[in-house]
Amino acid sequence: MSTILDIRNLTIELETSAGTVKVLDKVSLQLAEGEIHTLVGESGSGKSLLAKAIMGFINPRWKITADRLWWRHYDLLSLSPAQRRLVTGRDMAMIFQNPGSYLDPNTKIGDQIRETIPKADLKGIYLRRKASRTVRAERLLHRVGIKDHQKVMESYPYQLSEGVAQKVSIAMAIAHNPKLLIADEPTTAMEPNTRNQIYRLLAKLSAGQGMSILMVTQDLTSIVPESQRMSLVYCGQLMESGATEQLLTTPMHPYTQAMLQMSFFDQDIAPKTRLPTLTGAIPTLQHMPIGCRLGPRCPNARRDCIHQPRLTKFKQREFACHFPIREVKSHD
Amino acid sequence: MPSKSIYYQYREPSPLRLLWLHMNANPFAVVAFYIFSFLLLLMVLSPLMAPYSPDAQFSGAISQPPAWHELGQIQFLFGTDDLGRDLLSRVLAGSVYSLGYPLLATAVAALIGISIGAWAGMSHGVQSSTLNHLLDVVLSIPSLLLALVIIAILGPALHNVMIAITLVLIPQFIHSVHNAFYEERNKDYVAASRLNGCSRWYILTRVIFPNITTVVVMQVTFALSTAILDIAALGFLGLGVQAPAPEWGTMLARSLDQVYLAPWTMILPGVALFLTVLSINVLGDSLRAAIQERVRGT
Amino acid sequence: MIRYSLRRVVLLIITLWLLTLLLFSLNYWYPGDPLTNMSGITANNTIAYQQAELARGFDQGLFSQYVLFLQHLLHGDWGISLVTEQPVFGEIKPLLGATLELGLLAMALALVLGIPLGVYAAIQQRGALDRVIMGMSLSAYSIPVFWLAQLFILLFALKLSWSPISGQINPLYAIDVQTGSVLIDILISDSPYKTAAFYNALHHLWVPVVVLAIMPLTMLIRIMRNSVLDVLQQNYIKAARARGLNDRHIMFRHTLPNAMQPIVRQLGLQFSVLMTNIIITEVIFNWPGVGSWLVKSIYERDFPVIQAGLLVLATLILLVNVFVDVIHAWRYPQIRKEIDAE
Repeated sequence: MSTILDIRNLTIELETSAGTVKVLDKVSLQLAEGEIHTLVGESGSGKSLLAKAIMGFINPRWKITADRLWWRHYDLLSLSPAQRRLVTGRDMAMIFQNPGSYLDPNTKIGDQIRETIPKADLKGIYLRRKASRTVRAERLLHRVGIKDHQKVMESYPYQLSEGVAQKVSIAMAIAHNPKLLIADEPTTAMEPNTRNQIYRLLAKLSAGQGMSILMVTQDLTSIVPESQRMSLVYCGQLMESGATEQLLTTPMHPYTQAMLQMSFFDQDIAPKTRLPTLTGAIPTLQHMPIGCRLGPRCPNARRDCIHQPRLTKFKQREFACHFPIREVKSHD
Repeated sequence: MPSKSIYYQYREPSPLRLLWLHMNANPFAVVAFYIFSFLLLLMVLSPLMAPYSPDAQFSGAISQPPAWHELGQIQFLFGTDDLGRDLLSRVLAGSVYSLGYPLLATAVAALIGISIGAWAGMSHGVQSSTLNHLLDVVLSIPSLLLALVIIAILGPALHNVMIAITLVLIPQFIHSVHNAFYEERNKDYVAASRLNGCSRWYILTRVIFPNITTVVVMQVTFALSTAILDIAALGFLGLGVQAPAPEWGTMLARSLDQVYLAPWTMILPGVALFLTVLSINVLGDSLRAAIQERVRGT
Repeated sequence: MIRYSLRRVVLLIITLWLLTLLLFSLNYWYPGDPLTNMSGITANNTIAYQQAELARGFDQGLFSQYVLFLQHLLHGDWGISLVTEQPVFGEIKPLLGATLELGLLAMALALVLGIPLGVYAAIQQRGALDRVIMGMSLSAYSIPVFWLAQLFILLFALKLSWSPISGQINPLYAIDVQTGSVLIDILISDSPYKTAAFYNALHHLWVPVVVLAIMPLTMLIRIMRNSVLDVLQQNYIKAARARGLNDRHIMFRHTLPNAMQPIVRQLGLQFSVLMTNIIITEVIFNWPGVGSWLVKSIYERDFPVIQAGLLVLATLILLVNVFVDVIHAWRYPQIRKEIDAE
C-alpha cells in the first residue's frame, strides 16, 4: 500500500493575548491508501485542528509550517488557496460531530444532496440532468443505508435524527468518491446502536472502494474495530503511532498505557479502589510545559523530559518518549 | 511531585467586568459614554450655565444669526429665535424636558415593567402565555400611536405626556424581561438551585436576575431613546409639552415655520436631540456587541 | 403549516376584537358625551341625536351598546366627523391610498438599497467602506425623522430648489382623487397633461419617500450585515466550501437565503417604525394621508375621526405583522419546530 497522505513535523501557531502558542507541535502522520487510521486525543489535544489543517479549513490568523504536507503528489502548502480547494474538494471529504449543524437548515435534504453531485458525472441536457441527479442522490442514500429515500429527501435538517443526519452527511461526502474521508468524532453523543451502524457503514465504504478514513476520536473505547493504524496526540504533540493491535496490546509510551488503563479493557477493578488516572489536569493553551508536554503528569518523567523527545521508529511504529515502558528490542 | 501551584491560575473576570472591558476596547462606545455623561452634566448644571433665562425676550435682537455670521452678535452665541430669545439658553434649559423627563419616565416604566415582567416570568401556564401573546400584539402597534391615543384622552400637557410615555414603555419592559426570565427559568442551573431548596425569592433575585442584567440594561437604553424621540415627536406635533417651554421638539416645530428666514433655529435643537439619541444608541449597540462577544467567548 | 397560519389568523381576530373593545371604551374615556364621540352627532341636532340614541342602544345596557357599536363598525357606519360633518368611512379610502403609497414606496426603496449594501458591508468586513456604511447607518438611525425632514426641506427645497416644500401635486393639474395614491390617480385620470402631472407628482413625492426610507434602510443594512456575517460563520457554509461548491453557488443558494431570515422576521417591526414616522412626515409635508388626518383630529378633538384613524392604522399594522409572520414560517421551516415545541 502506498502512502497517500504524508505529514512531517506539522506545527500550527496561534497568536493569542498571551503570545504565540503552538497548538500543534511537530506532528507527523502517514496514511496509506484504503486504510482506516484512528487519531486519538483528549479535548484540547489539537486533533480536530490537525484534521482541519489537512482539509484546508484554515483561519488566516494561524501560522502553519511543516516539513512536509503532501497529499498524493501535491504539496498542499505550496498550492494557491483556489488550487487547494480544487484538490481537497475532489479528493477529500469530511464529516463532523453535530452533523445537523453542517446541513443548511432552510434547504431540503434532497436539494442539498443533489447539488453535491459532480457535474462531470451527469449526461444529457437540462431535464435529463436533473432527473439523473435525483436518481444518483437516491442511490447515494441507499448506499449509506437509508431505505426511505423519498421521505428523507423531502425533509428539512431539523426533522432528522442525528444518526440519519450523519448518514446524509456521509452520503454527501462520498458523492464524488473521495480518496480520503476525515471523520471528526462522527458519533459523539450518539446512541451505541446508531454509533455501531455508522462505524459499520464507514468500514464497508473503506473496504468497498479503497477509501482511506482518518477517524478522529476522544478515547480508546470508541475505536472502529476495522481500524488498522492509530496515533495518539496529547496537547498538540504526537505521543505514539502504530498498528492498532500492537498499540493496544504492547504500548510503548506511558501516555498510551495511561489511556489504556483509563479505558478499562477487561480489567477487574476492586470496589472502592482509586481509579487509574494521570495526576493533574490538561494544561491550558497559554501555559504548556516545555519539552514533552506530558512531563508534569507523566509517571516516568525525569529530568531529560524538558527536552522534546525525538520520534523513535522501529518496526512500523513510532513513539516520542525518552523513557518508554518497554525496551526497544532490536530483534523484535 | 508537582504541586498544583505551578499551574498558572487564569482568573476569569466577572461578567460585568468583562462587559466593561469589551466596552472600553471599543472607541465609539467610550466616546458615546463621554458624550452622554457630558449631556447629563449639562442638564444638571443648565440653570447655572445658561447665559439668559430661556423665556427672556430681547426685542433688539430678533432672529439674530449665530455669532460667527457677519450679522451675529457675540452675546447670542447660537443666535436668537423670532421672539428674540437666546437659542443657547433655550437648548440648555430644554435638556431638562428632552433628556431629564425621558429619564424619569424610563426609570418609572423600568421599575413597574421589570417587576411585572419578573412576576410573569416566574409564573407558569396560561397566565404567562396569554400575557405573552397579548404583548406581542400590543407591541406591534408603534409606541407613538399609543401615546397619541392617551394624549387624545388626557389632553396635551407636560404631565399627560409623561403619563402617556411611561404607560407606553411599560409593556416593552414587561415583554423583554418576561422573555429573558422565561428563557433562563428552564436552564439547568436554575433547576439545580431549585433542587437545592432555594426559595422563589432567592431564585428570582440571586439566581436568575444577575444573568439577565444585560438584557435589562439594553432594554433601558432602548426605552430611553424611544422616550426621548417620542416626547420630542409629541412636542413637534404640538401635542406634547406646550410652548413656550423650551422642549427641543417644540422648538423644532416652531423653526419649521421659520426655516426660510432663520434656518439656524432648527440646527441647534436638532443637533442636541441627534447627539443625545446617537450617544444612547451607540451605547446600547456596543453593549449588545459586548454581550455577544462575551457569550461567544465563554 | 396550515395549523400555524390558522393560529395566527385566530390570534389576529382576537386582537382585532380587543381593538374594537378598546375603541368602544375610548368613547367613554374621552371628554364629552359618549354618543357624540361615537357617532359624531351632537345633542344640538335633537332629532338625529334621539335616533342615534335608539340605533346605538343608549337606552339599554353597556353590552348591547357594544354589540350595536360592533354592528355599525362592520357595516361601515363609522359616524360623521364633528368638524366636516361628512361620513368618516367615506373619507378614509383616499387617505389610506395616499399613506400606503408613501409607505410602500419607502419600504421598497429601503429593501432595494438596504440588502445589497448590507451584503457588501459584510463581505468587506472591517474594510473602509464597511466602516463608512456602518457609521452612517448608526447615525442616520439616530436622527429624529422630523429633524431629518426639515434638513431635507432646507437643502433640497430651499437651497437647491429640486423639489417643492410640501404637498402631493400642483393643484393646477386638477387630478380627481379616486384611490388616493397620486400616481395611480394620474394614470387612471383622463387629464390631457398626464405625463407632466406624473412628473410633477414624482417631484413632490421623492423627498418624503427618501426621508421615510432612511430609517428602515439603515436598520436593514445593519441587520443584513450582521446576519450575513453570522451565516458565513456557520458550519454548513464551511461544509459547503469543503465540498468544493463554487463561491457564487454558496452565496446565492445558501448564504443569502439564510441571511434573509432576520430581515423577513424584522419586516413587521420595520413596518411599525415606518408607520410612526409616516404620521410625522405626513404632517410636515402636508400629505393628505391617514397620519396627518389623525393628528389634525386630535387637535380638533374630532373623536369619530380619531377612532377611525386609530382603527385603520392599528389594523394595517396588525395585518402586516401577521402576514409577515406567516411568510416567515412558510419560507423558513426550521422555526416551525420552535413554534411546535411551544
